[in-house]
Amino acid sequence: MGAIWTLALKDLRLLLRDKPGLFFALFFPILYAVFFGVVFSGGGGGDGAGIAVLVVDEDQTESSRSFVDGLLALDGMEARRADRETATARVRKGDATAYVVLPQGFGAASRRMLFGSRATLTIGVDPSRRAEAAMLHGLLTKQAFAPMRDPGALRAQVKAALVASAASGQDGLAMRPFLVALEQFLGNVVATTEANKTAGAEGSRAAETDGDAFGFQPLRIEQESVVRARRGPRNPFAITFPQGIVWGIMGCAAAFGISLVVERSQGTLARLLVSPLSQARILAGKGLACFLAVVSVSGVLLLVAVVGFSVRPDSWGLLALGIAANGIGFVGIMMLLSVVGKTEQSAGGIGWAVLMVMAMLGGGMIPLFAMPSWLRGVSSISPVKWAILSLEGALWRDFTLAEMLMPCAVMVAIGAVSFTAGTMIFRRTL
Amino acid sequence: MLTFAGLTKRFGENIAVRELSLEIMPGEVFGLLGPNGAGKTTTIQMATGRLAPDAGSVDVRGLGAPTRTEVRAALGVAPQELALYDHLTGRENLAFFGRLYGLRGAALRNRVDELLERTGLADRAGDRAKTYSGGMKRRLNFAAALLHEPSVVLLDEPTAGVDPQSRLHIFELVAEQKAAGRTVVYTTHYMEEAQRLCDRVAIMDHGRLLALDTVSALVAGHGGQSVVRIETADGEVRVETDDAAAAVAAQLKQHPDAHGIHVDRPDLETVFLALTGRSLRD
Repeated sequence: MGAIWTLALKDLRLLLRDKPGLFFALFFPILYAVFFGVVFSGGGGGDGAGIAVLVVDEDQTESSRSFVDGLLALDGMEARRADRETATARVRKGDATAYVVLPQGFGAASRRMLFGSRATLTIGVDPSRRAEAAMLHGLLTKQAFAPMRDPGALRAQVKAALVASAASGQDGLAMRPFLVALEQFLGNVVATTEANKTAGAEGSRAAETDGDAFGFQPLRIEQESVVRARRGPRNPFAITFPQGIVWGIMGCAAAFGISLVVERSQGTLARLLVSPLSQARILAGKGLACFLAVVSVSGVLLLVAVVGFSVRPDSWGLLALGIAANGIGFVGIMMLLSVVGKTEQSAGGIGWAVLMVMAMLGGGMIPLFAMPSWLRGVSSISPVKWAILSLEGALWRDFTLAEMLMPCAVMVAIGAVSFTAGTMIFRRTL
Repeated sequence: MLTFAGLTKRFGENIAVRELSLEIMPGEVFGLLGPNGAGKTTTIQMATGRLAPDAGSVDVRGLGAPTRTEVRAALGVAPQELALYDHLTGRENLAFFGRLYGLRGAALRNRVDELLERTGLADRAGDRAKTYSGGMKRRLNFAAALLHEPSVVLLDEPTAGVDPQSRLHIFELVAEQKAAGRTVVYTTHYMEEAQRLCDRVAIMDHGRLLALDTVSALVAGHGGQSVVRIETADGEVRVETDDAAAAVAAQLKQHPDAHGIHVDRPDLETVFLALTGRSLRD
């Protein structure tokens, strides 16, 4: 074991003296995490297309179903139907950003947009996701205004309001002349639309403009906090630092993968091979060095996150487990990267190309929640996804030990398979 | 002692070393002489366990083959390719390699200091190896092979591309290993180094052992006669002889007006030429 430590400490010392390697293993990840953390906390973080929203239709009327269909088709939102219990659980877990509940009576209220009490719906969202919540408010309001883009539908709303007003006999007297005039105007618009398709488009725009000009909100949105139900990220740095840590880990894997190629090209590997060390111990030394670097880089970044950016892990124990699993996973990946190139340049180029693809697919560049659903499915093939998940699980997703086992087991399996494959190829090329 | 018995190594169709059998004694500096591609480095690599022979065997001090890690602990190897960590200092390089051979604490520090002193690198010990000259790196490369005081020292072209000062340091270190009773195998294609340092020399070409003996015996057996050239007013007189001194005396009697005398003695170059029909550096 002494010789393995000696080898590992030598490699760590070399890494500390390798300025480009150290930059990518330590300083770049900190810059990455801080930069994107600041961007997200500045209110720009929630504007990513496709926030995941679960829609609960408790009204089950034609109007509510129509509203839900509209939400499902909206750009900027990945909406899915769910029941309330499932929606609450998934938002608590972080599988979805928010839920929207259409309560009973929503359909009836939405049909009398210009008369009586407004339609009300409820959203459930993590309070830390202010940007996403604001975006969701906007999208829901936009959808509520949707009927007004159709002059015929709007005319029907006006007619319904006039009938209801007359029937009640106690309300809407002041509005009645305006509604009568509006109904006549919309009748003209509909006639023009039917006569001329082009004019119809213009009429639609006119109606939209008129709708916007009303200056009222057709919808009342109540917001439920889900923070008591789950402990989500307290700030955007809890999301960006796991990504930063994984960038640091990738930097370590690249640096040590290249270092094995350099050992070969500079002849030091030949000297190690004629020393009284077995090949297994030499590779174990390299692996230990990479593992220690991964743990150290993760530790330094966590320290920066905790001290400088108020990131508070849910569980230090599970975090240690996640870091260890990531270390094992990326030691294996390092071993595989070390045999892909024959020269320092080719190993570095190919190695970083592979790691960049892993990062792109696995949420290392943009958060998983901001990815389209098809890409989220594909991301499972990337070790980066599991590495980030194992950190987020302990940092803010409030994973139990059982839930942590999945990403950790995936990382360990990736490490074992790739280390074995890398070692076999390495020995064949000696 | 280092023993090669019927050692053969093939790379595809090419036979790099062909049935090489040698026995190299403790306290002996043994030269492996031959041009590039003669099979010297392949022989050294089999002696270190880096390459497994296709046929035959290597034995180190009766311990067995160097493919076993415990046998390799008896070997000190200075590879032809400089094998140093550029970003470590000279001292750190030696300390690292010393630890791989089990040296620790004061013993390691003392040994490192001693070798830095012996190789003339003490005043640059704290500088990174990448700042060293080629000769200094070559000396450090040699020192790294001697840290654990090995019984068998394998030096593969240890003076390739070095300055005269470094060459002298290396010669002194080789002499010290011999004095300490170690077995030294020294590959080179510089015949003057082999003549100066080696007790016995094996001449190899195309993987074959062409001749093996002491330098003087090889020269006597294969070098031919000395040539005495007398420059006179009428031109040059050439005489081939086994006794150059007697021939010079006789020629001076015959040509009292001689204004120049040259004696070309046979050396390993002429031995190699005689054995292969070509120059050592072709």
